[in-house]
Amino acid sequence: MTFTRRFVGAYVRPLLWWYVAGTALVVLTNWLSVRVPMEMAHGLDALRAGTPGVRDAALHIGLLGLLIIVTRTLSRVLFFSPGRHAEFALREDLFAHLLKLQPDFFAKHTTGDLLSRATSDVTFARAFAGFALLQGINVIAALTMAAGQMLLISPLLTVACCVPVAFGFVAVHSGISRMFTLQRQAQAQLASLSDDLLGTLQGVATVQAFCVEDTFVARLTTHASALRASNLEMARLRALLFPVLTVAGGVCVFLLLSVGGDMALAGKLTAGQIAAFIALLAYLIVPLRLLGVLLPVFQRSEASLERIYTVLDAVPNRPDLGRAQPVPVGLTGPTIELRHLTHAWPDAPDRPVLSDIDVVLPGGATIGVFGRTGSGKSTLLRLLARLETPPEGTVFVDGVDLTRVDLADWRRRMTLVPQAPFLFSESIAENVGFGAGTPVVEAAAASASLNVDLAALPDGLATVVGERGIALSGGQRQRVALARGLARDTDVVLLDDVLSAVDHHTEQELLEMLRRRRTDGRPPLRVIVSHRLSALEQADLVLVLEEGRLVDKGTHAELLARPGPYQDAWAAQREAS
Amino acid sequence: MNKPTPTAAKKPASTAELFRALWPYLRADRARFVAALVLTPVVAGLGLVQPLLLKSALDEHIVAGRGEGLWIVAGSFLAVVVLTYVFEAAYTLLLATAAENSILRLREALFRHTLGLSQRFFERQPTGQLMTRATSDVDALNEALTAGSISILLDVLVMGGTLAAMFALDVRLALLLLVVGLPLAGVIEVFRRRMRVLFARVRDALAAMNAFLAERLAGIEVLQLYGQEERAAARMRALDVTHRDANVENNYYDASLYAIIDGLASVCVALMLGYGATRVGMVGADAVSVGLVVAFVDYVDRLFRPLREFSGKITFLQRAVAALDKIFWLLGVNERITAGDASPTQATGRLSLKDVRFRYRADGPWVLGGVSLEVQPGEVVAVVGRTGSGKSTLVRLIARVHDGYEGSITLDGTELSRIAPASIRKVIGSVRQEVQLFSDTLRFNVTLGDPALDPARVEEALSLSNAHAIAARHADGLDHRVRDRGANLSAGEAQILALARTLARDPAIVVLDEATASVDPVTEQLLQQAIERVFARKTCLVIAHRLSTVIHADRIVVLDAGCVVEQGTHAELLARGGAYASLYAEGFGVELDEAARAAR
Repeated sequence: MTFTRRFVGAYVRPLLWWYVAGTALVVLTNWLSVRVPMEMAHGLDALRAGTPGVRDAALHIGLLGLLIIVTRTLSRVLFFSPGRHAEFALREDLFAHLLKLQPDFFAKHTTGDLLSRATSDVTFARAFAGFALLQGINVIAALTMAAGQMLLISPLLTVACCVPVAFGFVAVHSGISRMFTLQRQAQAQLASLSDDLLGTLQGVATVQAFCVEDTFVARLTTHASALRASNLEMARLRALLFPVLTVAGGVCVFLLLSVGGDMALAGKLTAGQIAAFIALLAYLIVPLRLLGVLLPVFQRSEASLERIYTVLDAVPNRPDLGRAQPVPVGLTGPTIELRHLTHAWPDAPDRPVLSDIDVVLPGGATIGVFGRTGSGKSTLLRLLARLETPPEGTVFVDGVDLTRVDLADWRRRMTLVPQAPFLFSESIAENVGFGAGTPVVEAAAASASLNVDLAALPDGLATVVGERGIALSGGQRQRVALARGLARDTDVVLLDDVLSAVDHHTEQELLEMLRRRRTDGRPPLRVIVSHRLSALEQADLVLVLEEGRLVDKGTHAELLARPGPYQDAWAAQREAS
Repeated sequence: MNKPTPTAAKKPASTAELFRALWPYLRADRARFVAALVLTPVVAGLGLVQPLLLKSALDEHIVAGRGEGLWIVAGSFLAVVVLTYVFEAAYTLLLATAAENSILRLREALFRHTLGLSQRFFERQPTGQLMTRATSDVDALNEALTAGSISILLDVLVMGGTLAAMFALDVRLALLLLVVGLPLAGVIEVFRRRMRVLFARVRDALAAMNAFLAERLAGIEVLQLYGQEERAAARMRALDVTHRDANVENNYYDASLYAIIDGLASVCVALMLGYGATRVGMVGADAVSVGLVVAFVDYVDRLFRPLREFSGKITFLQRAVAALDKIFWLLGVNERITAGDASPTQATGRLSLKDVRFRYRADGPWVLGGVSLEVQPGEVVAVVGRTGSGKSTLVRLIARVHDGYEGSITLDGTELSRIAPASIRKVIGSVRQEVQLFSDTLRFNVTLGDPALDPARVEEALSLSNAHAIAARHADGLDHRVRDRGANLSAGEAQILALARTLARDPAIVVLDEATASVDPVTEQLLQQAIERVFARKTCLVIAHRLSTVIHADRIVVLDAGCVVEQGTHAELLARGGAYASLYAEGFGVELDEAARAAR
């Protein structure tokens, strides 16, 4: 229970007084509740004997009932509300921490996995901080107090009742563990049914074109059958196992009527006491049933908290923290120097994506990057954007090691438009400007030649793009991302093959706009990755990458003039025509 | 053929109509449903007997001091408890089995029906909504069948029986408890309503929060690159505050409701004792006995327990009716490709189009404005044209994805619309530009699980299309799993698989819509090789985007604004200097414009 202890220390302890007050009220409520049958015994016996005290007993019980309503309400609120506050604080911390974590962390965890930690795992932590703590204390209080009163009435009957009740408890407890397993299984089955259905519907044209409707109906029905089997087993548990505790209660009542009845006839017990015993028994069954649920909740919340703390304990890959060096603003965008840069993914350290890149990207220049798929172009841009962390001493910004440059400051000074853009299901204006004013957004949209698209969209810039921009075409998505990148004045502009989203004419316009671009009068450093050679013609320097190596560099004309991949690419296309 | 869709101006079906529509799916389990129905009064009645036996044991034996017969009464009580368990279990299992079986039949019918609908329907209908029909709408029905319908009847029987028993035992005491109890029932209902509103708010807040969270996590790099972390955190906090506050408010109602029902039992005991105090000394039926109080405590519990869940069950039913309405709307949609009945057995692959006109909507613009075209057996015809020239529509018409063209399309002399869809799809094999892959193995994506395929033919298709070379890139070969509908495959790999998929059916004509996406050089080579092999063996109609493909065709057809403007070989058309020549100069597609410019 290591993680539960940490959670309690960090999130439950600050709310301690809620829980202290709640505990006091739980104990009080249970004490009041077991008083009721005892008063009832007095009242019933007095009623039978015709002695006074019935009215007093009635009055007491009525008062107890009203008090119970108040204390029971408060005791539950005093546990459930702090549970919600703890949940809120935990989720806020989790999201704040996720925002700090860097791409290396997200490469190891899928979005779905992280989402389930922030939702269902946090819910299980809350179930611990609310429901489980309340019921844990409630069950202990109810069991001890009810059993105490029962022992006062008749130790023999109490012990006799223990046998069926214990049997019933074991039955329910084993059923509940199985129930939890089945619920998770059914959830997974429903998820795979949904997933397969989604795939089938998205591929329905293919299914129909190949006349394999039957196969796919069978596939989907297999999932549905599995789901049905799980549901039926759960129904069997509900029908056969869970009511065993109720039957056990019935056996106890049988014992009370027969054995207890004999005792009463022998004068060792009153009828009122038997009635009280029956009422106490009914009171006992409820927490016993809950106890079966409690243990799995404790186990589940510990497992969930472990998953949550895995995220909270992950250290953001921020070597700049604590030793950040400023990069002063110069007359042009910064000069970036790559010194024998070699970079590999953590999972394949012996297969570098970039090897021994040694080149200077002069501030204010336009740099072209050319290479085939997989040559390391995108990785190079991601390193410059510090989405990947380069080894120390390999990348320098105006002489400062990039790993020491304050990351937040660096991100403000650069912009990267990735090849596969990500849009949020918000308006285009929000996707471009993130809340920036309309003039900024409009100017950026114009720069990215988005205006023609906007005219065709129902609400122009206010058009909501749908989940991940689904309402837009691929080219439109990319132009929105380009507008987003151009909406900010930055000293470094990194474009990863974004010009393929536009036609040749627009491409030249965009390149011209980039050439003229100034940030407070400074020409930014522009790095343009492209597989279209036309986009690189005007570059001051073109880097040619092949399998992660810088195999050539020069201007377009220089590269065309000498043998190499650049000339080959040119020639290959010439030959194809 | 172009019937208006039934979505608009449709009045909801009545509950009786819906039940009639549902009946075919329930019918196979009617014996179970009827048995559960028959057991309902038995289960209700057995529960009502228990307090009576309690009372008898207490009053007639224990209080009366009569030992004989006590064990018989106690034993009867035990027998009733066991019988209740048995019948209740049987009732629950019968109902659950019948409901689950019916649901499975309904799901299967939905799958089958939906997969048979035409492309026009799918273009109009968001996938998410169709998913909802087969998942949460069906689940709502399931809840109603198990927890709703018959169990409401059980509740009504239990409550009615309990009231009857209480009045039979002591009219005045029953009236007294009802006078106090009924307003409380009203209070419970008020609480329930408020809680329902709060619950809806909690659910909406949770859905909004989860959607927000999912998207920000997926796009976290963008947030970080653009320094949007704090703004995202603030929006998340606002969503979570709404969620938390609705929950906290809900806690008060939930806790009070629980507590009221809890305290109510004590108040009832107090009332009974107080009432009993006024009747001390009376005998027989007028006196309030120990047994009477114990029996009444039990009855009051039985009366209130279903009341607590009653409005919840009504909600289940309402939701199920709404869900059923939507499910049967979908099952009632009858947009299919009109089925012919001709099934050509020996197709040579002579395809002939005469003045084919087509538009997507009756009032829309003509996408094809009179296309005439002949493809001879063994010939390879390439269709080129700008975006929007109607190339893809042409493919879709020939593959009969779309229906309702004017003019004539014949295959070996038989009009396309007269050929049964199942036959035509075996004669014409189409490879779409955007390949649809399924989250299954590579092999499945080629065979699509079709048991009628000849394994030898599949093997040949895998070799011809170079799909074996794609499979060889993975340690598990053809058993390699395609994830997330093809996320782990490149566009080129996907098109090779699609080619294999088509070739495995050995169609007389292959209709190929070439991919425009950039493909890595190695895969490009494999794809090109495969296409050339297909050209050598099959009658082909190709929507071409690559120069290398175009020059391998026997004949080139240039489409512009839905009409054929030029036909001929590459050399002929270039020499003419018309539409083809300018298309050629532009490079057919984005990828080759540089090459074209260089060639000029």
